[in-house]
Amino acid sequence: MTDLETWFSVNQFYTKESRYLDDLEFTNWLSGFDETVRYWMPIVSNRIGRDVGRELTQPGELAHFEDDHTSLTNRVKRLQTGRAWAETPPGRTNHMISNVEIMERDGVQLKVRSQFLIYRSHMEIDQEIFSGTRIDKLRPDTETTWKIMDRSIILDHAVLTQKSLGIFF
Amino acid sequence: MVDTNTRHFQHLVDISKGEINREMFSDPDIYQQELKQIFARCWLFLGHVSQLPNENDFFTAYMGEDPVIVTRHSDGQLGAFLNMCRHRGNRVCRADSGNQRLFTCPFHGWTFANSGHLKTVPGYKQVYHEKLDMEAHGLIPVARIDDYKGMIFATFDENAPALDEYLGDMAWYLDMAIDRREGGIEFLPGTHKWRIKCNWKFPVDNFIGDSYHGPVSHGSAWEVGFEGMPRRKKGYGYEGFQINAGNGHGFGVRWAENEDQIYEMALPEFLSYEEERFPETHARLGDLRGMHLSPMHGSIFPNFSILWQSGNMRVWHPRGVGETEGWSWCFVDKKATPEHRDLVRVHDLQRHGTSGTWEQDDVDNWVQSTLSSRGYVGRQVKQNLSMGVEHEISDPKSIHPDMRGRIAGFQNEINQRQLYAQWARMMDGAAPNVSGANV
Repeated sequence: MTDLETWFSVNQFYTKESRYLDDLEFTNWLSGFDETVRYWMPIVSNRIGRDVGRELTQPGELAHFEDDHTSLTNRVKRLQTGRAWAETPPGRTNHMISNVEIMERDGVQLKVRSQFLIYRSHMEIDQEIFSGTRIDKLRPDTETTWKIMDRSIILDHAVLTQKSLGIFF
Repeated sequence: MVDTNTRHFQHLVDISKGEINREMFSDPDIYQQELKQIFARCWLFLGHVSQLPNENDFFTAYMGEDPVIVTRHSDGQLGAFLNMCRHRGNRVCRADSGNQRLFTCPFHGWTFANSGHLKTVPGYKQVYHEKLDMEAHGLIPVARIDDYKGMIFATFDENAPALDEYLGDMAWYLDMAIDRREGGIEFLPGTHKWRIKCNWKFPVDNFIGDSYHGPVSHGSAWEVGFEGMPRRKKGYGYEGFQINAGNGHGFGVRWAENEDQIYEMALPEFLSYEEERFPETHARLGDLRGMHLSPMHGSIFPNFSILWQSGNMRVWHPRGVGETEGWSWCFVDKKATPEHRDLVRVHDLQRHGTSGTWEQDDVDNWVQSTLSSRGYVGRQVKQNLSMGVEHEISDPKSIHPDMRGRIAGFQNEINQRQLYAQWARMMDGAAPNVSGANV
């Protein structure tokens, strides 16, 4: 694939992924993940002086998300029980993905950075905005075009103004 | 001195019936009184010594709505100070943690040492004409700071009882989390911090004694594989105890008749570690604390909570009458193997804290409870805490001779009743340790 074809293909993959999430098609969303996936969201904190650049917690430290394929699948199953009260009724989300940048190519695998802005409305007037960055490792797949082998999600918030992280990124 | 005979707030809490007035969850005036009578007078949890391993390490925290800097001075001593410049009141530290000897206010440059002393003021000679009293303008220190086996607490009240006295029997029970192995515990780096539109008392109430909500609120998480600890077996739910340790502190336990039952309750992935640590815990803490009691959930008055075996501790910072900021940490035994640390961390964060499959559903419960306290008609309706009101266990020593405090069956709202009783006493001006274990 040319650079343009690759970029277009990844964009299409992300757009479809967002649609699955916004339309509550979580099983379809899961199909985009490799069985060995690590889905990880470290914690951001405020640092100054010589600690600037050390805002994120590291592997082995506490994180917002640290999931593998099994736990990610279980999170989806929880939503499908009908008794996941934080999502009963389900929130209405709008996942907007942009600034898709192919950072590295390693053979057929890609490292891709993208930005997200997610709006969530819940119940009557609860509303939340999540903004941040995703860094993915992707491999080509015949069925789903791409599979996510690794997803790191950097949320911009140090103190979350959202009542919980019950959605997917 | 506040007149303790006015009993202004006692009428909001009827312990004998198990009824409380919902206005305490929605009235802004009551909230202001809480900041004064509770948050400015209690010992409040700030963090763990493992967060300050080196000289000049610091982290920032809150005591009520007051921001503080918690420091380890050059001489190794712990200190805590209002994060507030004595000039215009700006925060002198904008970082959540780090290592610094000096804090310089970003506004005009007043610079304070991590011992609180005001060290330099720009233009001290030229514009203050050397008239500013440097000694009198240090950062405002807390009245007292102390740690119990590494757990750092501070109070703004110089008349507060000693920390040991404040914690009372709860300290002895807390050993089951923090002193079960040599070296105690440590906090993993990283703090979940998030805002919940609920009154701060609802999560404290939930953690101190609400073992009733589990099967309903957390059924979805449980069912799909996010099992809890200690593990629930078929028929589970009613055996165990709620233990009230006095002074508004309490927790819930499952009961293990013998060593084997501890392993029966263990999650499969934790089993080998339970077997490894049990002999040491038993030797350190004895039969009651080292074997029979498998603690699950608890709160220390006013706003600290713990999930014992999930390795989770948290503080509920008040943010106005209708909002709370949760700070949640993961703790592990210092002697835990790297493999066990990984298991605890993942277990904890997949269930508790920001993305926790249990926590998410709790959060919405607390929000709903808060909302229902806002309507004029709704808030006239009493909140019901009557479960097991006449079924406390009259002789705790009959359960085990070492038992302390008041106890009731596992499904009993004794701890919530005592939480609000302590709340009312302190709101009326009483000292935090007047209740003892048996009021």
